[in-house]
Amino acid sequence: MSEERETRLFMISPDSMLTPDQLVRMVHAMGMEATVKETCYGCLVEGPSKLVREILAAVREKYPYEVFSKVRAYPCGDPRRCRAQHGTRPGFAQLEAEWAALPLIEHGLKCSDEGKKYKAHEEEKQLPLDDFKKICEASR
Amino acid sequence: MKVFIDPPNSMILYDLVERFGHEPLSAMAAIQNKIDNIEVDMPPMNVTLDDVIRGLKYAGVEVPSGIRGRLAMWGPLIEQADAAVIMIDAPFSFGCVGCERSNEMVKYLIKRRGIPTVTVYYPKNEEEAETVVGQVKEFLEGLK
Repeated sequence: MSEERETRLFMISPDSMLTPDQLVRMVHAMGMEATVKETCYGCLVEGPSKLVREILAAVREKYPYEVFSKVRAYPCGDPRRCRAQHGTRPGFAQLEAEWAALPLIEHGLKCSDEGKKYKAHEEEKQLPLDDFKKICEASR
Repeated sequence: MKVFIDPPNSMILYDLVERFGHEPLSAMAAIQNKIDNIEVDMPPMNVTLDDVIRGLKYAGVEVPSGIRGRLAMWGPLIEQADAAVIMIDAPFSFGCVGCERSNEMVKYLIKRRGIPTVTVYYPKNEEEAETVVGQVKEFLEGLK
C-alpha cells in the first residue's frame, strides 16, 4: 500500500451514543493536517499515512469499543465513487452488514478485555456413513 | 506479521487484526495500488493484461473470468501472508458476493500455503461474538 496517502473509514457502532458530528469534531480538534469528511456512519480521514495512524490511535484510545476502522482504497471525493458525482458505491452492502454486527463485536471486545473465557465453537463432525445411507434410502 | 483476512474487504476482521498488533492484508490495499499506480476507470472492475496473466497462476483458463479476476488481486496477497484469519457462515452480503467458487479457491490457496490459520464463525449472538473475538485475539497474540 502507498505510504503517501492513506484514507481511512471510521464507523460508529449502532449501540454507541457518539454521533458522526462529535467524531469529526474530535478529529478536527486534534489540529492535524488531514482531510476529514463526515459520513452517515462516521467519517473518512485522509492524509499522509503516519498522520492518519496517529489519528487512528487517538480515536481508538478515546473510543476503544465504539469506533471501528479500515482503510479505504479510494480517496475522499473521488469522482468514481463520490455520491455527489453519481459514482457507484459497490461497498454499501458490505458496510451495512458489518454495521449491524458491530454491537456483537463490541460486546466480544469488552469481554475479551475483562479476561472472560470464551466457549470454543464445536467442530463440525462428518456424518457417519450408516446415517448417510439411511437418509439416501429413506428418500428413495 | 502480515495477516490475510477472508472476506478480504471485511472491516471487522481488518480492525481486529490491526487492534491486536498485526498488518492486515486486504482487498482495499490491492485496489489502492491500482488506483494510485494505474489510471483505470473503475478498479477493481477493470483489469489489465497483467491481471489476466496473474490470474492464470491461481486458476485455470477454463475457470470463469470473474474468479480469475478476483484471484489476480487476492492471490499475491495470500502469497505474502504469514498467517490468515477466515470468517465463515456469514450472511451473503458480508464480504465479496461475486462467486462462492472464488471464496473456495481463496480458502484452498491459504490451505496450500500451509500458513497458520484460524477459522471463525460469523457471530449471531453475544456468546458467539465472545468466541470470535477470543479466538482471533488468542491466535494473533500467539503469532511470533
